[in-house]
Amino acid sequence: MGLPAGVVDALKQIVGVDGVRLAPGELAAYARDATPLFHAEPDVVVFPRTTEQVAAVLRLATEHEVPVVPRGAGSNLCAATVPLSGGIVLALTRMTQILEVDGDELLARVQPGVTTARLADAAAARDLLYVPDPGSRTTSTVGGNVATCAGGLRGLKYGVTRNYVLGLEAVLPTGEVIRTGGRLWKDVAGYDLTRLLTGSEGTLAVLTEVTVALLPKPAEVGTGIAYFDSLADACRAVAAIISAGIVPATLEFLDQKCIAAVEDYAQLGLRGDAGALLLFGDDGPIEVVAGNLVRLRKICTEAGALEVTLAEDVARSDALLAARRCSLPALSRLGSLTILEDVTVPRPRLAAMVDQIDEIAARFGLLIATFGHAGDGNLHPTCVLDPEDDEAIDRAHKAFAEIFAAAIRFEGTITGEHGVGAAKLPFLADRLGADQMRLLRRIKTAFDPAGILNPGKVGS
Amino acid sequence: MIFDDDLLERCISCGFCLPACPTYSLTADESSSPRGRITLMRALETGQLEPDDPTLVEQSSFCLGCRACEPVCPAGVQYGDLLEQWRDHQWQGRNRPVLARLLMAVVARPWLLRLQGLVRRHARTKVRGRTYSLMLGCVERGLYPRVSRAALRLAPGMQAPRAQGCCGALHAHNGSSVQGAEMAEALGKRLPGTIVTTAGGCAAHLSAHLGRDRVKEFSEWLVEMGAWPQGEVRVDGRRARVALQDSCHLRNGMGVTRQPRELIKAVAEYVELPGAGGCCGAAGTYSLLRGADSRKVLAPKLAEIEAARVDFVVVVNPGCLRQLEQGLRRSGSRVKAVHLAELLTWAEE
Repeated sequence: MGLPAGVVDALKQIVGVDGVRLAPGELAAYARDATPLFHAEPDVVVFPRTTEQVAAVLRLATEHEVPVVPRGAGSNLCAATVPLSGGIVLALTRMTQILEVDGDELLARVQPGVTTARLADAAAARDLLYVPDPGSRTTSTVGGNVATCAGGLRGLKYGVTRNYVLGLEAVLPTGEVIRTGGRLWKDVAGYDLTRLLTGSEGTLAVLTEVTVALLPKPAEVGTGIAYFDSLADACRAVAAIISAGIVPATLEFLDQKCIAAVEDYAQLGLRGDAGALLLFGDDGPIEVVAGNLVRLRKICTEAGALEVTLAEDVARSDALLAARRCSLPALSRLGSLTILEDVTVPRPRLAAMVDQIDEIAARFGLLIATFGHAGDGNLHPTCVLDPEDDEAIDRAHKAFAEIFAAAIRFEGTITGEHGVGAAKLPFLADRLGADQMRLLRRIKTAFDPAGILNPGKVGS
Repeated sequence: MIFDDDLLERCISCGFCLPACPTYSLTADESSSPRGRITLMRALETGQLEPDDPTLVEQSSFCLGCRACEPVCPAGVQYGDLLEQWRDHQWQGRNRPVLARLLMAVVARPWLLRLQGLVRRHARTKVRGRTYSLMLGCVERGLYPRVSRAALRLAPGMQAPRAQGCCGALHAHNGSSVQGAEMAEALGKRLPGTIVTTAGGCAAHLSAHLGRDRVKEFSEWLVEMGAWPQGEVRVDGRRARVALQDSCHLRNGMGVTRQPRELIKAVAEYVELPGAGGCCGAAGTYSLLRGADSRKVLAPKLAEIEAARVDFVVVVNPGCLRQLEQGLRRSGSRVKAVHLAELLTWAEE
C-alpha cells in the first residue's frame, strides 16, 4: 500500500528531512526484526527525537489512518516490530538520552532508545543495579524491553522488567501525551496503566520516557557450573535447590546442543560430553554469596551432577553469563533457520515439560535444542532448520503448536518474556479465552480508536 | 550468484552487531548497520535491488570495513568476506571511486613501489636466510619509512628484502578481491620464511591467503620470540603514559590484542582507552574517500585520548598512524601518535 498524498511532506516538516527514510533499500532494512519467517516492508521510516515529534507523527497517522509500528533495536523474537500492514516504522533509536540517574531515590529516567546495557552501566557507575537483564542486553532498548516486558537472567530472585517500571511517558495514537505512575513504589491512584502499557507491545501507545527503579549494587556476584547427564537431571537439581529454601539470582540451563554451540563461539572450556549444564549464581553480601555457592554445589552434587565448579572470579562469572546470553545466535551455527520459542511452566513441571519437548521433537523428526531460565520455569526450545526445506518448516510449526498446548495443559503459558507479537497471536486465545480476548480488543479501541498502532498484533 | 550462499545465510538478524558498528552509532539507522547491510546484500542477490540502487551504492561505501561486528557475532557471520564480495560486484569500472582506482594502479606495480626506496630511506637488507622477512608495506614505505627501520633495529636477525610488492589488501577492500588474492600469493612467493609485518591491515589480509602460520604481525612476532624490549620510555624524567589504538583488522580479523599491550607495559605506563577497540576512521582508503565521515568516527576517540592524559598513543598500522597524527594535530593536542616499533626503540636502560 502507498501513503496518502501529503503525508511524507508532513513527516518531513515534523522530524526534518534527515529523519525520514523512503528509499527502497532503506525500507528493505526495516522489513524484519530478529524473528525468522516474518517480512513486511514499511512505506516510510521516521526517526523522531522528541516526545512532541512522536505526538505530531501519531496525530498525522490517526488523521490519515496510516499504520504505525514503534521500533527499538528490532531484536525481538515474536515479530512485534514487523510492519505487517506497511505504513510508518517509528524508529526510536535516536531518542537515546539518559535523563537522570538518582542514587537517593534509587531510580533512573531514560528515553526509550537507550540500550539496556547502557542503562545498566550508567547505574553501575553509581554503584546501583538495574535488574532486568535480557539476553540481548547490549543491543535491545529499554523502550523495547518495557514494551515486551522482556525478562532475562535474574527473574527468579528479582522478578522481571514490569517489577521495575515506576512510571512512563507515553503518547496515545490520537496524540495526547500521558504520564503514568511516576517516581514512587507506592502509588495506587487510578487504574495501573503503567502495568497495562508494560508488555503492550506498541499496540496501545508509544513509550517516550521510562522511569525505572534501581537497587543498590550487590557487594558480591558469584557463579558456578554443574554438568549433568541430561536436562531432566538438571531439572531435578533445580527442584532440589528450590525446596532447600535457596532462591539464587541465576539458575540457567543449556542442553548438550546448546553447550556445543556456545562453546564453539565463546571458547570457555565447557564440557562437551555432558548432556546438560546448569549455570547457577547468586549476588549479595560476600559471606552470603560464598555460603550459598557452597550449598548450591553440594545440592547439585547430591542430585547427581557429573562435575561442579565455581567460577574463580568476577571476570569468569561475567564470561559465563555472557555466553549464556548468546545461546540463540550461537545455535544458528547448527543451521541458519532457528525458530526459538518461549514457553513457561510452573517450576515443579519443568522436568515433565522437557520430556514433552523431547518426545514431540522425536515424533516430528526435528532438531530441537533447549535452553532457558530454569529458575522461573521459562524454557526456550529452539528448532534448527534448513531455510530451504519448506516441509520441515511446516513440521516445526505443527510441533510448536503441540508444545504450546502442552505448556497450557501444565498450567503454564505460551510466552514468558518474548511477547506475543504476530508470531504468537494465533495461540493467544488458547491461553486467555474468548471473553478476555474481547476485553483486550475493547481496551485496544479505547486507546487507539482508528486502530493504527501496530495492527495485526495483540488486541487486533 | 554474487555472494557465497553459506555466508549470506549465516545471519539470523539477531542484532547483536548493532552496538559494535561505528556507522550505526552515527546514524541509528538500520540500513547502516551490519544486519541491515546484509539485508541489502540479500536484496541485491535476489534481484530485488539493482547494483545502482542509491542505498546500495551509499552503504557499500559508508561501511568502514572495520569488522567490529565479527567478534561480537555469536552466529559466526564473516562480514568482512561478505563486504569484499559486495564491493566486487558493485564497484566495477566507473562505480569504483577514482582515487581508489589510482591508488590500486600504483601499488599494483612493484617497480613503482621500489622507486620510493630511492627517496625514502626505509629498511633494507640483503636476503640472508630464509627464516623471517620484514614486509615493507606500500603505504608505510612511502609515508613512514622510519617504522621499518625501527622494526629492524629491534629485530636485527630479520631481513628486509628489496624486491617486494603490495600485499593486495587495498584491492581486496576496494572491489577487486581476485587481484587482491593474487597479489598476496605473489608476495608470499617473493618473501621467504615467516612474513612479519608492521601493518595490521596487511597482516590480516596476508594471513587470510597465505595461512595464519606463515604471517605474523610485528608485536605478535616479538612476543612469540620472547624479544622483550629492555628499559623504559621516559618523558620529563618520568615513565611515559602510553595508550593503544587497536588496528581493526588485527583485532577483529586476527584476534591479536594482548601482545601490543604487553609490549607497551614492558616499557611504559599503559593506559587503556575505553574505545581502543573501536575504529579510528582511517579504514584504508576510507579517510581519503569519505573524509567527513572519517572525521566523525575519529572525533570521540580524540576526546578520549585527551581525557586519558597520555604522552603517546600507539598504533600498529600506518593508516591509523596517519589518521591519529592528523587528527591530533588539527585539534592542537600535545599527544603524539607513534607506531609501536618506534616507541619500543625509545626505551632506555
